[in-house]
Amino acid sequence: MSSATTADPAALAHHDPTTATGVPNKKILMWAFLASDCMFFGALISTHLIYRLHPMPGTPSPREIFDLELTSFSTFILLMSSVTMALAVNAIQHGQLGRCRGMLMATILFGGIFLGCQVYEFNHFVHEKSLTLSGSILGSTFYTLTGTHGIHVLLGVVWLCSILLYSAAGKLRPQDAIDVESAGLYWHFVDIVWIVIFTAVYLLEYLHR
Amino acid sequence: METTHPPLLAPHQSRYQLFVSVAILLSFITGAEIVAIWLPWVHWFLVALLVVLSAVKFGYVIFIFMHLRWDRWLCTAVFLMGLLLAGGTALALVKLFAVGDSIPLTSQEEPPAPPANAAPSPARAQ
Repeated sequence: MSSATTADPAALAHHDPTTATGVPNKKILMWAFLASDCMFFGALISTHLIYRLHPMPGTPSPREIFDLELTSFSTFILLMSSVTMALAVNAIQHGQLGRCRGMLMATILFGGIFLGCQVYEFNHFVHEKSLTLSGSILGSTFYTLTGTHGIHVLLGVVWLCSILLYSAAGKLRPQDAIDVESAGLYWHFVDIVWIVIFTAVYLLEYLHR
Repeated sequence: METTHPPLLAPHQSRYQLFVSVAILLSFITGAEIVAIWLPWVHWFLVALLVVLSAVKFGYVIFIFMHLRWDRWLCTAVFLMGLLLAGGTALALVKLFAVGDSIPLTSQEEPPAPPANAAPSPARAQ
């Protein structure tokens, strides 16, 4: 955990005089990781878009497969989870451990709901709409992209659960705010990737050509 | 003459209100996106509108929820480097595959049938 024990955690979050860059090392590491993850998702999203712009003969119409109501609900849930995550980071930076735990639990709950919606969606697509991973190019690119995002959400939920357990054991202190903030950065990244997927994969399919 | 000022909000309190306000705004934008796709507007305008609205949501999340607004420029620079590389690569790939010769063969129209008296190609002869 953080070595700084005396300075104000809220101030340290934005400026750490003990590092060469003035930014906490864990934070700069997380930003670098997220930048690399951008390229990963950029490749997956562009692959999906290329094959949607030039569909193979016999490709099913996504408009007949997608369920916009469910996806909109998932989007709203993920947005709300971002708010609770931001509030959890804000709480621990001001020494409010109880409030931080509550917000973390809310974030985990929202993340679980999102994952439940995705499992339902995949199950519905496979069994009711016959969209399988290997059945068509659309299925391959769609499941690879949204499945990779879903795995990111799952990892985020596991990470937040571990912080919650650590906190329940009484080992999380306000001085460790940077650890919660790192998890928060990852969680918000998952949210911004979904913002792009929601528009590029789902909404654009509904436009009249 | 002495004047009285209302007490200033504590920093964490003001940020709490900011986060909630941004959440409401993001929900509103998402609702606007869902409504927009059903409007009988020109296709290119709707695509541009959706891209702009997504970019606004993206910006609010990274600058407010991810604290880039209050962090040093280095964090913004590191993230934007990755984002620009990813965006540039994605744009280049989409443009590249839009060129006629790059379109996946099986997604193009059926090739014209060869003349009846033409010799079969080695591949077809097998």
